[in-house]
Amino acid sequence: MTGMAALQQAGHLTVAGASKRFGAALVLDDLSLAVAKGEFVSLLGPSGCGKTTLLRCIAGLLRPDAGHISVAGRDITTLPAHRRNVGVVFQNYALFPHLTVAENIAFGLRAQGVSKSESAPRVAEALALVRMTEHAGKPVTALSGGQQQRVAVARALVVRPSLLLLDEPFSALDRKLRETMQVELKHLLREVGITAIFVTHDQEEALVVSDRIAVMNAGRIEQLADPATLYGRPASLYVLDFVGQSTRLAGQVTEAAGGMLAVQTALGPVRAPGQFAPGSRVVVAVRPEAVVLGEAAENRIAARVREVSFLGSRTQLHLDLPEEGEDRGVVELPRLPEGIGPGSAVTLAFREADTMVFPAP
Amino acid sequence: MERLGLGIAWTALVLVILFLLLPIVVVIPVSFTEATVFRFPPEGFSLQWYAKIRNVDGLLGALWLSARIAALATALSLLLGTLCAIALVRGAVPGAAAITTFMVSPLMLPGLVLGIALLQAAREVGLRDAWWSLLLAHVVITMPFVMRTVLGSLSLFDFAMVDAARTLGCSYPVALWRVLVPNILPGFVSGALFAFIASFDNYPVSMFLVDVRTKTLPIQLLNYLEISPDPTLAAVSTGLIGLTVLVLILCDRLVGLRRMASI
Amino acid sequence: MSATALAAPATPAPARRLDPLALLALPGLAFLGVVFLLPLLLLLWSSIRGAEGFSLQGYVRVLGDPYYVGVIGASLQLGLVTTLGALLLGYPAAFALARAKGGWQVLLFALVFLPLTVSIIVKSFGWGIVLRRDGILNWAMLNLGLIERPVRMIFTEGALYAGMINVFLPFMVLPIYSVVRMMDPRLPDAAATLGASPWFRFTRVTLPLSLPGVVAGVSLVFSLAVAAYVTPSLLMGDRYMTMSMVMAKAFLNLRDWQLGAAMAAVLLAVAAFVVVGASVLQRRLGGR
Repeated sequence: MTGMAALQQAGHLTVAGASKRFGAALVLDDLSLAVAKGEFVSLLGPSGCGKTTLLRCIAGLLRPDAGHISVAGRDITTLPAHRRNVGVVFQNYALFPHLTVAENIAFGLRAQGVSKSESAPRVAEALALVRMTEHAGKPVTALSGGQQQRVAVARALVVRPSLLLLDEPFSALDRKLRETMQVELKHLLREVGITAIFVTHDQEEALVVSDRIAVMNAGRIEQLADPATLYGRPASLYVLDFVGQSTRLAGQVTEAAGGMLAVQTALGPVRAPGQFAPGSRVVVAVRPEAVVLGEAAENRIAARVREVSFLGSRTQLHLDLPEEGEDRGVVELPRLPEGIGPGSAVTLAFREADTMVFPAP
Repeated sequence: MERLGLGIAWTALVLVILFLLLPIVVVIPVSFTEATVFRFPPEGFSLQWYAKIRNVDGLLGALWLSARIAALATALSLLLGTLCAIALVRGAVPGAAAITTFMVSPLMLPGLVLGIALLQAAREVGLRDAWWSLLLAHVVITMPFVMRTVLGSLSLFDFAMVDAARTLGCSYPVALWRVLVPNILPGFVSGALFAFIASFDNYPVSMFLVDVRTKTLPIQLLNYLEISPDPTLAAVSTGLIGLTVLVLILCDRLVGLRRMASI
Repeated sequence: MSATALAAPATPAPARRLDPLALLALPGLAFLGVVFLLPLLLLLWSSIRGAEGFSLQGYVRVLGDPYYVGVIGASLQLGLVTTLGALLLGYPAAFALARAKGGWQVLLFALVFLPLTVSIIVKSFGWGIVLRRDGILNWAMLNLGLIERPVRMIFTEGALYAGMINVFLPFMVLPIYSVVRMMDPRLPDAAATLGASPWFRFTRVTLPLSLPGVVAGVSLVFSLAVAAYVTPSLLMGDRYMTMSMVMAKAFLNLRDWQLGAAMAAVLLAVAAFVVVGASVLQRRLGGR
């Protein structure tokens, strides 16, 4: 239990050794997580990784088979959902269509026995907070997607929850609105000063809204880190692939000395920091923006351009690779040099320090 | 060409409505006639046939019996049908599609076949009481209507709303009551309405199950029509039509008529 | 992720343990099993049970007697004519109803819906008043000078067909209406941008899309009309015997249970054929 105690001290929300099984499938596998007060943490992963199950366990909509969950030092593992005071913004908002905007927001207060006279000013305050005051009397079915999201947030916040859980809160919005609402919501929650957990499968969204991101895989947290670390120093190939793009090449360690490795890849030799025995099969990777054309860095490889994608502020080159399979080549340049197009032969250079090495899968 | 098509469609709709209303509307003037036959146009104006309703043997009794049977049968099917629909929508029920088909199949079954089957079965087990066999039969008749409408509104219901209510401080039963019930109420009301009408209006099943003292309204009406056809029947019919219109208006106010269209 | 929303967790069915929610289906299932399925099986059983055990005598009498074969034919003919008439009238009407706007649609819908809720006895009785020698139709035609003497209409086949269509028409209009209302009005427009003529658009786009409603309406009206009892007996009496009327007579007057049971089995077979055929057709239409 000392581990539990240590976690509880570390976090406002702590999950310690949570496991959940559905039939034969182990959906949460001895998972632990600590979130500090006021922190925004994203649970990021593909469908089926267990992130929604974890969220439902925290909300009290599911009970873990093993492990403990506590909020503000209080163990809530066996507390039913309605006594946890955990706010939830559901994926499609789950607004009550038979109630108006104001009635939706007042629902939680009324359910918790707050008198009408007491709840009215709090509802008004919540409406003002999400800038929905003028829509108070409308049925929720008459609202746009963005407005519905604001009502859902206000409904969850008005009961002053100790924790806010958001399940794919932006998935129902179109791209443009999604980007606006991400910044708006982050700002709003920061102002309220609440601790929030986002569930998302969209890595860009996770990078935008979170202080820290937990990348989940098969019921476990693969890496929990701030966005810059996650992107710059992914702990595994899984995290590397899930967050951002990269050029990655399979290879074999030919030499290891003083924390530096020499790796032979299909496109030539590459040097990188790492600890592997000579002869190990590895994957070397470099982020697209760490690569330049020419010879301005220690590692240089020759390749052929297959396709060019203009992305506005930058241009992506997709490389022809000699071998099919797991290898990928993506390079990003601030602008495309004259004469480079599909079929061009190029030399790519990147620093040894930017080169990452992972054990081959 | 486009306009021609639309013209045909609108003409057809107007004709259909006139045609459908014709036999219903003609009953009304006939009920106010002074003559003792149905002749058209009706002669004079009198309420004598309405006054005579009271004197017709067994008519009010039959009305009361039909109303009671229909109300009870509807309540029972609502109970059984809703439980079954919840299981089918939310539970992992093996063979859910087959069960759904089975539960709504009495709708497609020829009424007389059902009536005969029930009559025979009632004799087989020694159930001689007409009231009970009528009630059981009418639960079977009403079940498909309840199943279809309740299933329909349950499958449209987003159960995340129940979760949302729980996280906002409602216990599970309270969440069901405050969120599920108001949202599937239209399904309930229209299912109940259809069920009630199907039972109240049923002839082919009931005709095998009634006895001399226990006769439902349609049976009694048809009997009367065969024995002494006079405008009293038109008066009774006018009353029933008025009642129906009243119920429809009530339902429209309650849930909106168009939501009930999905028979 | 969308597959495993918080709203609907992907809970794979437990391998052996039965979901306790599934038990809620039991009371209803048990009730229909005992009060509906069992009596039907009993009825089928009694259709092959003679005085000395197993006997197909009932079927031999029904299918071997030209009179009863004629009754079956008459019922099928009544069903077909009623369905066809209801389809011809109901299909365009359903379109107009689905395309009506706002308050008009509510009103028109109510007018189509109302007759459905009025007792079949009342309607058949009213239909009698319309068709009588001194009824409204003769009165109107006399006054318009279309005829010189009242025409006998009641107890004619034409009157029967008209009455049947009158009773069952809403069951055709409403299913077609609900399908047409859900139809994407941009689809015929899309076809128009591809250069399709109005006729081509109707036959290749609108009509096929409305077919699920047509199948639902046709199967409903046919299975109801083929088994009709009240309307034919009120409008025609013994002059036009249907399967249902033979059954009623066999059970209530003749006390010939085997004959009635065999006729019931034949009617049941017709109904089952329609139901199964309709669901196969629906699946085909849905699969495209």
